[in-house]
Amino acid sequence: MGSKSIKPLIFIAPSFILAVLIISYPIVDLIRLSLHDVGTFGQLNGFIGTLNYQDVFDDALFFEVLLRTFYWTFFVVVGTVLISIPIALILNEDFYGKGIARTIIMLPWAISLAMTAVIWKWMLNPDYGMLNHFLISIGLIDENIGWLADASTAFPMQILIGILVSIPFTISIFMGGLTSIPSDIYEAAHIDGSSYMQQLRTLTLPLLRPFINIAVVLNVIYVFNSFPIIWILTEGGPSNSTDILPTYLYKLAFQYGEIGLAAAVSIIMLSILLLFTFVYAYFGMKKTGGAS
Amino acid sequence: MSSKLKRSIIAWILLFPVLFTVLFPFVVTLFTAVKPRNELTAIPPNFWPSTFHWTNFIEVFQSTNIAHALMNSLFISTAATLIAILVAAPCAYALTRFDFRGKRAYQFFLLVTQMLSPIVLVLGLFRLMVYAGVVDSLSFLAIIYAAFNVAFCVWMLQSYFETIPKDLEESAWIEGAGRIKTLVSIFLPLAIPAITIVAMFTFVNAWNEFIIAFSTLRDTESYTIQLGIIEMTGYYSIRWDYIMVSVIIASVPVAILFSWLQKHLVGGLTSGAVK
Repeated sequence: MGSKSIKPLIFIAPSFILAVLIISYPIVDLIRLSLHDVGTFGQLNGFIGTLNYQDVFDDALFFEVLLRTFYWTFFVVVGTVLISIPIALILNEDFYGKGIARTIIMLPWAISLAMTAVIWKWMLNPDYGMLNHFLISIGLIDENIGWLADASTAFPMQILIGILVSIPFTISIFMGGLTSIPSDIYEAAHIDGSSYMQQLRTLTLPLLRPFINIAVVLNVIYVFNSFPIIWILTEGGPSNSTDILPTYLYKLAFQYGEIGLAAAVSIIMLSILLLFTFVYAYFGMKKTGGAS
Repeated sequence: MSSKLKRSIIAWILLFPVLFTVLFPFVVTLFTAVKPRNELTAIPPNFWPSTFHWTNFIEVFQSTNIAHALMNSLFISTAATLIAILVAAPCAYALTRFDFRGKRAYQFFLLVTQMLSPIVLVLGLFRLMVYAGVVDSLSFLAIIYAAFNVAFCVWMLQSYFETIPKDLEESAWIEGAGRIKTLVSIFLPLAIPAITIVAMFTFVNAWNEFIIAFSTLRDTESYTIQLGIIEMTGYYSIRWDYIMVSVIIASVPVAILFSWLQKHLVGGLTSGAVK
């Protein structure tokens, strides 16, 4: 091997070192932690095999939180995709003020999740918040609602906010998909006399399908791991009733000092995501032909 | 009525619920930021401020610590961006201009690192910081942010670099210019626009990051702007006017930057997908 094969390694080395130090090493450390009895200050007290995992699986709260994480991910992702498709279709049409409409709809993407959550915490304030004020003024409710005081109102609200912030990214994927559909196939369909709805069902949606797949996979990964909206609005409370895995993990690791259990939950979350991605990639690609 | 006018009216009517839901909180944010203090806790609340108290934008710097938090965020985001570009650009160059064993495997490795989210790793990262004695170090946090952005930067830069024709560099070699000289004088000037876009994207990501900063920063002196604002929501007497002023100061500059970036970003993503 001459100098020719050494050069690319020098170019690549920094990115490799950074990825190993910041991303690979913590995973190895987490796996090691999850298999040890770990003290509150992080000292390893001995190898205990899968005992941490057994403790996690024996905890009824864990299953409650796991199930809620699935609900959270499912409703946010399905809601986002269902709302984003019609919006993307409208934004793909030629109409006056399209640029302004697009800019407004994309706006939530540009604001951090933490800031969005702070804004909504104020909006949802029972006494001074503008949501109650607005709903009373249009006659939808009679008295102030303490939205965040109970999971039955807090959690659906968090899901709605989750949908709102996921829409822009999803729409931009769909818009990319729509512009890649050649316009002559619509002309052909038009000559054949098919209606807008028929074209939508037989042409647009099937052609959009690979982009819907990408949007679902990326959103599931993103929403499943999302922390700021739930944390800032309710901290997973009252009494763990709005906790999802990310907030539960944070509490185990940084509030309860259950380092071993927290490491086990981290690895479980990682496994769920990997499993999901591979299953979806396998079936998704099989159906769409797998070329890309 | 022309068909475009009709179409426009229908489009705006259909989009109205979404547009309203998006805009309403932002309008409330602005109005809260400039309300006189006694109107924040009026019952029933009033939507319009009686006067626009713009001096809140100055007072917030005198009565809270956000100036310091803004400087911390500026430092972390700038450092993270520089590190990410210095690491990702050579990597993307090598992946587009050289053929070597393990290239595919390395691209796959980078893709996998992109899939791992900060929340899953945060306990491991905190232990790494404790172990290395760099808890509350803004520089180390910048390195972490850079690491989480490198894979994306490489991927985006790679798809841009592939569009830069190799002939230019090859003809420079024939004329006797060395590889490094060609890189600096021919390739780099053409790559600058793409690098700028990717750099700004990394900056916005670092500026908006929450979970790693929230879990690992212990000293309020090292708080980023996101943490500084969250801390204000936990005070005994919450000043929502100052909080909303801070939200605006923390968000508007990066939101403008990001809105401009979005077009390039989506273009880059789809051009990568078409290949």
